[in-house]
Amino acid sequence: MRHLIISILFVCGAAFSAAQQPDSIHHLNDVVVTGTRTPKLLKDTPIQTRLITAADIAKADATNVEDLLQQEMPGVEFSYAMNQQTHMNFCGFGGQSILFLVDGERLAGETMDDIDFTRLNMANVERIEIVKGAASALYGSNAGGGVINLITKEATEPWTLNLNGRIARHNEQRYGGTFGTKGKWLRNNLSIQHTTMDNYGVSNASDPTARVISTIYGGKTWNVKDQLTYIPFEGFKLTGRAGYFFRQLTRTPDTPERYRDFSAGLRAAWKMSEQDNIDVSYSFDQYDKSDFYRIRHWDVRDYSNVQNIVRGLYNHSFNDTGILTLGTDFMRDYLMNKNLDVKEKHQNTFDVFTQFDWTVSPHWEMVSAVRYDYFSDGKDSHFTPKLTVRYQPINNMNIRFGYGMGFRAPTLKEKYYNFDMAGIWIVQGNANLKSEQSHNFNLSADYTKEQYNLTIAAYYNDVHNKLATGVPFYKPNDTKQLYLNYLNLNNYSVYGGEVTLQARWDGGWSGRLSYAYTNEQLPDDKDGNTVNNQYLPARKHALTARFDWEHKFSKDYGLRASLSGRYLSRVKSVEYVDYYDIAQGTSTIKYPAYTLWKLSVVQRFGKAVKVTTALDNILNYKPQYHYLNSPLTDGINLMVGLSIDLEKLK
Amino acid sequence: MLSSCHGMFDDLYDTPTESIDIREGQLYVDASSWLDWYYIDFHAANHNAAEGGTFSSFVKEAIPIEELTNQEGIERLDNIEGLENTGNAPGIYTYWYDVFGVGLSNHDFRGFTPTAPQPEPEAWHIAVHRNNVRTNHGAAYETTYTSINDLPKNSETFRDSTFTPDEWNELDVWTVQDQMLQGLIGNQGIEVNPVLSSWLKMDIPPMPPTYTLNNHVFIVRFPDDTCAALQLENYQSPTGTKCCLTINYKYPY
Repeated sequence: MRHLIISILFVCGAAFSAAQQPDSIHHLNDVVVTGTRTPKLLKDTPIQTRLITAADIAKADATNVEDLLQQEMPGVEFSYAMNQQTHMNFCGFGGQSILFLVDGERLAGETMDDIDFTRLNMANVERIEIVKGAASALYGSNAGGGVINLITKEATEPWTLNLNGRIARHNEQRYGGTFGTKGKWLRNNLSIQHTTMDNYGVSNASDPTARVISTIYGGKTWNVKDQLTYIPFEGFKLTGRAGYFFRQLTRTPDTPERYRDFSAGLRAAWKMSEQDNIDVSYSFDQYDKSDFYRIRHWDVRDYSNVQNIVRGLYNHSFNDTGILTLGTDFMRDYLMNKNLDVKEKHQNTFDVFTQFDWTVSPHWEMVSAVRYDYFSDGKDSHFTPKLTVRYQPINNMNIRFGYGMGFRAPTLKEKYYNFDMAGIWIVQGNANLKSEQSHNFNLSADYTKEQYNLTIAAYYNDVHNKLATGVPFYKPNDTKQLYLNYLNLNNYSVYGGEVTLQARWDGGWSGRLSYAYTNEQLPDDKDGNTVNNQYLPARKHALTARFDWEHKFSKDYGLRASLSGRYLSRVKSVEYVDYYDIAQGTSTIKYPAYTLWKLSVVQRFGKAVKVTTALDNILNYKPQYHYLNSPLTDGINLMVGLSIDLEKLK
Repeated sequence: MLSSCHGMFDDLYDTPTESIDIREGQLYVDASSWLDWYYIDFHAANHNAAEGGTFSSFVKEAIPIEELTNQEGIERLDNIEGLENTGNAPGIYTYWYDVFGVGLSNHDFRGFTPTAPQPEPEAWHIAVHRNNVRTNHGAAYETTYTSINDLPKNSETFRDSTFTPDEWNELDVWTVQDQMLQGLIGNQGIEVNPVLSSWLKMDIPPMPPTYTLNNHVFIVRFPDDTCAALQLENYQSPTGTKCCLTINYKYPY
């Protein structure tokens, strides 16, 4: 691995020496909104924001957000939870502490603490904004580790129609279409995507040291989204949206699992004056899980999470001195789960927040925010503060320092769960859970010179009362049945940093190299006992790299070649020797490092047709053991795709 | 908006009821318990059908799991250890299965607990335990028919076919699941019919296990030379519990 890193740095350095062209290509003038809930240029935002552009998404040829993030960001790992559902570790934080938004709206539903990542396909995504660190002062619960906001495209041409498809091994197929129209007052964007992949078996050597998997599940998805925008007059925009998602996963041929989501929303954005704008929205999201009994032709729902959310956001600009933001949200959260002790639960949550973004001087900017959240179940409430300072000592250089409090309120599942896990143990909810709370400190600097952009960031999180399952135990009068309770664990910390170097050179060359360090110190329970950690910890070292070469040979033919890859270091996990006899103590399991690389070539024919040929896992890495955190691969994979922009066929 | 608080599109889904609609010539047995055999007497089943289903067509008998500590048990234990799991003695045979790796084909004998023999009712034809089936000294043959109605008029057609009797088995009748996470399962050592048991196949990998239904009609010949035609139509309860068996039968056939 050391040779690999040295080689990459060498190539990078050699390319640097060939640098000639001034920079205008790091998207620093792109507008981002997630960090402050107000539009800011990327180069000026006081909150360090990682931007993944539509061009980055196209280069990655990613199907969904999981596919994209693990290619683009070091320190993000998608692995399996115990039941082979996808679990995300984002710089030491699990799925419940990273808030995913689509155009600022939350997503309903979870499985093993993570949202359904396959819902977030990359069709029609304009950009993705990623804010690391506690953002609860603006976004409330579940934003303790950061926020990932997907911003969808709006139609910009009278009409556009893109049709695309991709095939790969294991009968993996992806087909999509996006149709956009733009008139004087109305704009509409409709996107449809369908994917399929077969289940396939993977082999393991003998004597694994931990749980291995033998089947990688494929499945099929349908994702339909429509967004209609009405602009009756300048400064006022009314947006309605509707979406349908369907996924089927077949572990048992006679009983495939089905996942559906129905979403809708209405949003009014009104710029009342140069200084004032108001944004009011209603959002509906329903995520269902069901089992389809083929023999009886019954589709039986066993889970439904329904969120109805009303939001209000007001911004007032004090000319050049600052922006005041006032906001409020109301959410009704309904959960039906056959494994709840009472099957159905709901709670109302309410919050108000305010933020002042103060431009102290041309070199200094300070953002402070405070938020109050109330949860009706348990009558729980929180005050959450945040303070961020941006200093610009010279042009194209920013130094940011911030403190933010993060929190995660216990979910209805964590409070009221009662689930017999295949006779192994009964997982029990705990109505007395306290909210998990974190104190996040971050420091970052970014510098842009000509075609180079360098970002360095470090963070420290002090987490209190982490919500998790604890130590399995027998009840005094029942020595046969093990129980596993949700509880608040001891305090622990997560710290780390990231370095990213981006550049673009003459001749169509560009590259990006990112390294992330994460130190996740897993907690014990309040009595100092080692707990059965639900998920494998973060890997300490991770690296992602991308090099592109783009050339236009003629008006009718162009080519882009990309090499991208990632490296994840090995990770140690402390696990029980025997779950049934925890007196035997724990042992340290070592999970191996791995690296995966992808080579892709995109050929453009005319203006409208693109053919993508990619070799994924070009080093043909095959895990000796398919542990829960091994990459989902059984070797090299050839992918071939075709994309046609019909409006350009002239 | 109020209706949306608890979600919408309820009509997409089915609401199963626990009640089972059993047709003539059909039995429903909840055989999902790891700890019980369900004994079916077809004479009783026919009588029950004639009486409008007023009594149960099967008898439940628990699998003995308590260790036999008397002299007989001690001798059996000595014997089994000497013979290394070839003793065909009643009891619980503990095996380790590579459930998270290669699968059930990779297994290893880990221990034996002598128990009392499996109790049986006076009259019975077949017994079911999850995906396992025994016959009362019968033998089974798998036809290629997928409907009992399509079978030849009587069983004479299958007179020269090769019928398979019950065979000793200490790998499939999973009974004790206390150590399942470690891959350790306590199995009852008992004779089961491998052909008839193939009507419901359980596979590991993957985890959790997959079940595959074989909808062929099976012919079972009993010692009194009577035959039964049997077909597994479904293995799930209305609420999805596996090993709840809906059995089509014709007896005598």
